[in-house]
Amino acid sequence: MAALAATAGGLLRLRAAGAEGQWRRLRGAGLLRGLLQPDSATGVAAQRRHVAHFTFQPDPEPQEYGQTQKMNLFQAVTSALDNSLAKDPTAVIFGEDVAFGGVFRCTVGLRDKYGKDRVFNTPLCEQGIVGFGIGIAVTGATAIAEIQFADYIFPAFDQIVNEAAKYRYRSGDLFNCGSLTIRAPWGCVGHGALYHSQSPEAFFAHCPGIKVVVPRSPFQAKGLLLSCIEDKNPCIFFEPKILYRAAVEQVPVEPYSIPLSQAEVIQEGSDVTLVAWGTQVHVIREVASMAQEKLGVSCEVIDLRTILPWDMDTVCKSVIKTGRLLISHEAPLTGGFASEISSTVQEECFLNLEAPISRVCGYDTPFPHIFEPFYIPDKWKCYDALRKMINY
Amino acid sequence: MAVAAAAARVWGSSRGLGQAGLLLLRRPGARGLARSLPQRQVQQHFPSLDDKPQFPGASAEFVDKLEFIQPNVISGIPVYRVMDRQGQIINPSEDPHLPQEKVLKFYKSMTLLNTMDRILYESQRQGRISFYMTNYGEEGTHVGSAAALDNTDLVFGQYREAGVLMYRDYPLELFMAQCYGNSSDLGKGRQMPVHYGCKERHFVTISSPLATQIPQAVGAAYAAKRANANRVVICYFGEGAASEGDAHAGFNFAATLECPIIFFCRNNGYAISTPTSEQYRGDGIAARGPGYGIMSIRVDGNDVFAVYNATKEARRRAVAENQPFLIEAMTYRIGHHSTSDDSSAYRSVDEVNYWDKQDHPISRLRHYLQSRGWWDEEQEKAWRKQSRKKAAWAGASAGS
Repeated sequence: MAALAATAGGLLRLRAAGAEGQWRRLRGAGLLRGLLQPDSATGVAAQRRHVAHFTFQPDPEPQEYGQTQKMNLFQAVTSALDNSLAKDPTAVIFGEDVAFGGVFRCTVGLRDKYGKDRVFNTPLCEQGIVGFGIGIAVTGATAIAEIQFADYIFPAFDQIVNEAAKYRYRSGDLFNCGSLTIRAPWGCVGHGALYHSQSPEAFFAHCPGIKVVVPRSPFQAKGLLLSCIEDKNPCIFFEPKILYRAAVEQVPVEPYSIPLSQAEVIQEGSDVTLVAWGTQVHVIREVASMAQEKLGVSCEVIDLRTILPWDMDTVCKSVIKTGRLLISHEAPLTGGFASEISSTVQEECFLNLEAPISRVCGYDTPFPHIFEPFYIPDKWKCYDALRKMINY
Repeated sequence: MAVAAAAARVWGSSRGLGQAGLLLLRRPGARGLARSLPQRQVQQHFPSLDDKPQFPGASAEFVDKLEFIQPNVISGIPVYRVMDRQGQIINPSEDPHLPQEKVLKFYKSMTLLNTMDRILYESQRQGRISFYMTNYGEEGTHVGSAAALDNTDLVFGQYREAGVLMYRDYPLELFMAQCYGNSSDLGKGRQMPVHYGCKERHFVTISSPLATQIPQAVGAAYAAKRANANRVVICYFGEGAASEGDAHAGFNFAATLECPIIFFCRNNGYAISTPTSEQYRGDGIAARGPGYGIMSIRVDGNDVFAVYNATKEARRRAVAENQPFLIEAMTYRIGHHSTSDDSSAYRSVDEVNYWDKQDHPISRLRHYLQSRGWWDEEQEKAWRKQSRKKAAWAGASAGS
């Protein structure tokens, strides 16, 4: 581990040197060698998975919600679902493979506890899952639908955008499907490639009538999920899959809710505002430390939490203070949600801006497999963009 | 199943599958929800001497002759009917023996719908409303099925089921308010005409995308089952909408999740200009039901008693047995698809006239009523005058 860390450290130092040319030379064999760890027994070089591009930062143990338990993100989701089914007798959970516990173990134990009529598998059909969920919600019962990967939500796009989002409006509030929540694993995971890594929040941000939420941690996940389930509008809850096991912290056992459409300033600062959501929050947190340490720059770090409707006030208030904004997400740059934030902020805070708003995002390509480390907006890309903004 | 007779053997430990067997033997401990192991289901028994297929996916016999199943479209599923084209009961044991009052309500609902359709179609032509879709020729499918339901049964429609609302006594004023988008519209003027909805009458607001209502209806039926509501959900759609993926999704979910739902397909021969020969190549929609494990029937949609009988029995069994039923009501779309369509572009006037004159649900029922002595020319004239006046008045006030 130490050897790998040292090699990785060497790698990082080279990247920090900054010159494009040097970076290009590192790609290919040199980089790969840098990642290889010699097998101690045989001396043959064994490949190891790339180290994660972030370090999960747990929040301090919450005091105001009673007894807490150490939980990872999927356990926090299970806890939220458990609380919901206990409290609301109409609540049901359904989707592909949820009965045995789910491919990410989010529903483990729930079928045994609440019965097969409340936690059940559906056929393999996302448009059916969401349509079925809408129908349950129309009768007033609580529907919690699981889409196995956010990458597979697209067959349900018509049901979400044309039906769920518009149900209340088009009927003049005679009917609604507000008690529908759709959950889906989201974002990069190290090896997911095109179809197990996507962050499709931008597609849904363009749809009035639904809410879109992304948590950064187990504690946030449980509180936000419970809010989504209680919310009187259909909600999509994206769960960063790379955090399912990697993120562990103390989470209250009892139900609690974190308000939707409220961003959280997780670190105050005066020089630059950094905005992200989900896994990327941990990346920009580290960027903030790097900026403080290397440049003496004080960053204000904001976790947006709800993408739609998003908390413009918190972000704008921060930019008015700092004058600089950097937004980062894994999803491709063009049409990504950073573009919406950027557009609004320049409208509202134009005269406060000291530099153009910076967006550090995935490239405008499908999400690659072996090239993931190059694709994602890692801390070095973010740091680089931040430096340019400071020196503008 | 023959295999059920064989002694059950849990696969795993006796086959030396080690780890898998271990998973089966461990029980969830007291370590809390997050740590409990998924329970494996015993899927298969393995009687080694039995020569039956053991596949989990299908229950069947082996066959050693290569033969493809020929889809039967020459003589497909027969069409159930009670009355002939002249309104005479064919098989007296199938006569529902409905009281006069009820049958008159059938007739008045169908004719009032027809009258309202004429007024509103004309309103569009006069520029008073933007758009309209008539129900000509399909009144029997609406009224026969609506009459067989309880008033609280939830209805999901497509867009050509106004007769269901009419039967449930939705006032003409509200039909028209929606079409005019005036301040009386319960839908608050948000949608195009004919996108009716009524919470009080359990008629879910219509939306334009086709077949989206099908999996939704299934979800609603599932919730009704859980609530022990003794309610059925009925879901209407056309033979064109049945081609959508949502239809396939709905059918499959209804069957696997055992939902008390009636799928009611109005097969009226056309999806705008697309005839059924271009919509499907199998034996219509009814033949798809068995493929999903769904009880299915094909009925004469222009025979209001056949529609009534089939829906009544489907309702009874769907609620009692928690399973879906598929009714394919064969009918004909006499009118254009909508006011934006001129169907003479793709079908002959003769074809339309045949259905209008020779096989119309309203005239067939009128013959029945007349043969029972429950209706005559005098009453017909009076009713026509009354319903026209009523509809015209509603139209005039809606537009003012």
